[in-house]
Amino acid sequence: MHRRTFLQLAALGAGALLVPRRGQAFGETAKLAIGQIEHGGRWNPRPRALRRLAWEVAQRTSIETGADGVTVRLGKSGLHRHPMLYLSGDGGIPPFREEELAALRRHLQYGGFLLVDSADGSDGAGFDASVRRELARLLPASPMGRIPREHVLYKSFYLLDHQGGRQIVKPWLEAQVLDGRLAVVYSQNDLAGAWSRGEYGDWEFECSPGGEPQRETAFRLGVNLAMYALCTDYKDDAVHLPFIMKRRS
Amino acid sequence: MEQEKFNAWRLISLSPWPHWALALLAVAALAAVWLAGRGLRGETRRSRRWILIGLRALSALLALFLIAEPALQLLQTARVKNRLAVLVDASRSMAFPVEPGGETRSSAASAWIAAHRAELEALEDRVHLEWYTFDKELTPSDPSTLARGAPPRGSATDLVAALKSVASGGTSATRKLAGAVILSDGADNGALASGLGPAARAELRALGAPITALAVGRSAPRDLAVERISVDDFAFVRNTVTAEVTLTARGFEREKVNLVLRREGTVVASKELQLEPGKERYTVPLSFAPDSTGTFVFTVAAPVFPGEAIAENNSRSFVLRVIRDRVRVLLVAGRPCWDERFLRGLLKQDPNVDLISFFILRTSSDNSGPQEELSLIPFPIPEIFGQQLRTFDAVIFVDFAYLPYRALDIERYLPNIRDYVLAGGAFAMLGGEQSFGEGHYQSTPLQEILPVEATEGLASVSEDFRPRLTAEGRRHPLTSLTAGEGPNDAAWNALPALPGLNLTRPLGVQAGARVLLEAPTVLVEGRPAPVVAVREVGLGRSLAVTTDSTWFWGFVTSEQEGSAGRAYQRFWNNALRWLVRDPELTQLQVQPDRPAVEPGEPVGLTLSARTPDYGPAAGAQLGAQLVSEDGKVVAHAEGVAGPDGTVHLEFTPPGPGAYKIVASSERPGFPGERASGAVAVRSSGPEDADAAPRPELLRALAETTGGTFAQLPRSSMPEVKLAEPEVVEVGRRKDVPFWDRWWFLAGLTATLASEWVLRRRWGYW
Repeated sequence: MHRRTFLQLAALGAGALLVPRRGQAFGETAKLAIGQIEHGGRWNPRPRALRRLAWEVAQRTSIETGADGVTVRLGKSGLHRHPMLYLSGDGGIPPFREEELAALRRHLQYGGFLLVDSADGSDGAGFDASVRRELARLLPASPMGRIPREHVLYKSFYLLDHQGGRQIVKPWLEAQVLDGRLAVVYSQNDLAGAWSRGEYGDWEFECSPGGEPQRETAFRLGVNLAMYALCTDYKDDAVHLPFIMKRRS
Repeated sequence: MEQEKFNAWRLISLSPWPHWALALLAVAALAAVWLAGRGLRGETRRSRRWILIGLRALSALLALFLIAEPALQLLQTARVKNRLAVLVDASRSMAFPVEPGGETRSSAASAWIAAHRAELEALEDRVHLEWYTFDKELTPSDPSTLARGAPPRGSATDLVAALKSVASGGTSATRKLAGAVILSDGADNGALASGLGPAARAELRALGAPITALAVGRSAPRDLAVERISVDDFAFVRNTVTAEVTLTARGFEREKVNLVLRREGTVVASKELQLEPGKERYTVPLSFAPDSTGTFVFTVAAPVFPGEAIAENNSRSFVLRVIRDRVRVLLVAGRPCWDERFLRGLLKQDPNVDLISFFILRTSSDNSGPQEELSLIPFPIPEIFGQQLRTFDAVIFVDFAYLPYRALDIERYLPNIRDYVLAGGAFAMLGGEQSFGEGHYQSTPLQEILPVEATEGLASVSEDFRPRLTAEGRRHPLTSLTAGEGPNDAAWNALPALPGLNLTRPLGVQAGARVLLEAPTVLVEGRPAPVVAVREVGLGRSLAVTTDSTWFWGFVTSEQEGSAGRAYQRFWNNALRWLVRDPELTQLQVQPDRPAVEPGEPVGLTLSARTPDYGPAAGAQLGAQLVSEDGKVVAHAEGVAGPDGTVHLEFTPPGPGAYKIVASSERPGFPGERASGAVAVRSSGPEDADAAPRPELLRALAETTGGTFAQLPRSSMPEVKLAEPEVVEVGRRKDVPFWDRWWFLAGLTATLASEWVLRRRWGYW
């Protein structure tokens, strides 16, 4: 090859880099990228958990997941780019400002979904007490209630009748409902503790008392939560009922 | 001498000062008196105190008197004669006999006028006499005509409207109404059709004129009539509709009546009714379930019995618009994603949408565990894309690929979807990594119906862009977020940028496709890439939305305070309505002036034509036919659409019956549009539907207004009560001032001087 030809081809190649990207995958915004809420307390006690959950969701379902979880701050613009939010903590959290609560309320009222996960295993103290206080301020007209076992959340992908998590503080999930849909789901069982892998690929925490089956249930619950955020009550449609009832029986 | 011309007077003020200034001066005068009294509180001799206060008060009065400049205004007045209106009913019911075999009601009325004309005219020394006939309107007449008998031809009777028209002026707007004499059978089918209610009573009292009501007609002729049909203007297809038929039967014993309800000749319901002696009014519910959508004329008919006064009132027609109950939508998603999430949410909460969803939740490469632990169901491809496909009004693909699921053999059903659209169905494809070219649809039968060319190799872009309305998008109902071109442009410009789209080529207008929204910064072969495009293909419609982020127009937009994300809702509502051919969005519309016309009246209708891009089809050749129940064209009219795309057509009065209106439009280079409607020409008007005299209504009318009631025939003239309002006209006037006499000024000087002198003497000042 002549030197001039080589230079022309090299120039053409460099020029191609300046052309807008084409033929690449688009649809990043259509994918599931969970927005993790940063707050004034220990807001990210399980930093590798959401990445692991996203990987599992992508492996097990047709849901396309975004890269790592995205950190969001209430009251800052861009909150609505993440219809599914995640709020965690280890220990008490300081009260949200009114404008932060208003932003989160608006997000939920227009169709958003919030998963709240307690990392400290508290019950009536620590994170549990403070987050219940904040959730009551958030949606005062929608009190927290236990999600019934027959709710579509427990059949949105996996058929579930157990709870998962690093520990089982409460054998149920609680929720706040808006317009007939779960807007806030609260787990006291440290779901992220069960999802989290260490730096060397080993599980970061033991799951007790159920061990690995309890961890698998935590992942299945995570999948169902993601599926519920994206499909809501799809599995309540009449066409699914005969199949589900047959498998449940 | 001159004084004698004036016969009234009134007191006036000639002062040039405005009223508020005079009021202020009066307050100042009062204050002066009060100050005088306050300064004399210490005076022990009561006589002195009262003398000084009295002098101050007198001075204040005189001062005010001089400032106010009072005068006497002499007036020349005249008492104007009020009006007495004689109203004779000239509606068609007056042609019926007073009693079976007797003279007509109209003859009875004219005979009474002839007999008592002189007595009425004798009242002219007190009132100005006016003569009218009335039906639904008031017509001036004269006593000679009324005495001969006015022809009873009016198609309706409205007593209140006639009286209000007389009171508001009649032929003489300056004279007030002192009273009215009404000769009528009382068969009102206007405001008093259902009796004299509180509102009508209030209106009659407000006239301020006593009414002398003379009732003609004693008993109703033998007649069976469908008096009224109560039914909604529209009904849902396949849902039961009930038409409540009010039947009147007079002069019958225990006959059986078979009521039949027909839709354009076909019997859809019937019921047998047993008449009872003495009972005149019956309510019969007739229920049926319309089996197809459209506008139809229904007719309720009862048999005609021998000896009936009117045969035409035994049937009555009404128009009913039958609409679909719910739009059935099939939503198919290749994977759970946010566009699917929000579109499903929107459609699920719409009570007019019956949503069937199928989402691919797991692919063959996913490892989710044993099947029995999952809630997944087999994708029912043969059912939804085979047998059930034509039961859907619209099919929507959201990021759905057919290729990855070879085992499902979806490819085999793609021709079905194409044929479904060509036969009148609706299809929409939304963008995504598995849509258009990315989904390899370019070589499938779906390419034949898509509004854009999904060519492989163009793929997609992931750069932010702001969509822009095209010229056609500015007119199209699908992209109308708000009324008005400017506000609609602004509404689109206010939406956030979108993060990417599938690259496609627009199809030409010759293919029936139109790009409504484009990405000006993303070019495909030098032209902006389509974002929203529509197509009329075969008898169906298709929609392409090349972005996977329409949810940005809703949820993302709603982050802004004050924005409710309505653009998303509006866009998809419009899209669905357009896809399923909502009647309000069709390009040719026919709107009769009235759903039912009275016998002898012309049928009028307006045709509105729009071009395929929804601009007014100015100059389009429009035509309409009236088609009778037996399928014959009985009338035809044509016209050219004006600048607004509409034309009004009128048909000469066709005979009684139910007619289908079949409208069509012709524009060079465009396929003709057709639209249909319906109109009923009644076989009998309200005058024939119920011709029974209602003397009790006339009695109530007289009592309400403080007048008198009498039943004809009678030989004597009843007392005609008249209101006598004081109507005064001002002719000449003269002002006689009496403030400018010298003694008023002298008096004021004297009182002031006296007060001053006495105060000095008694030790004040």
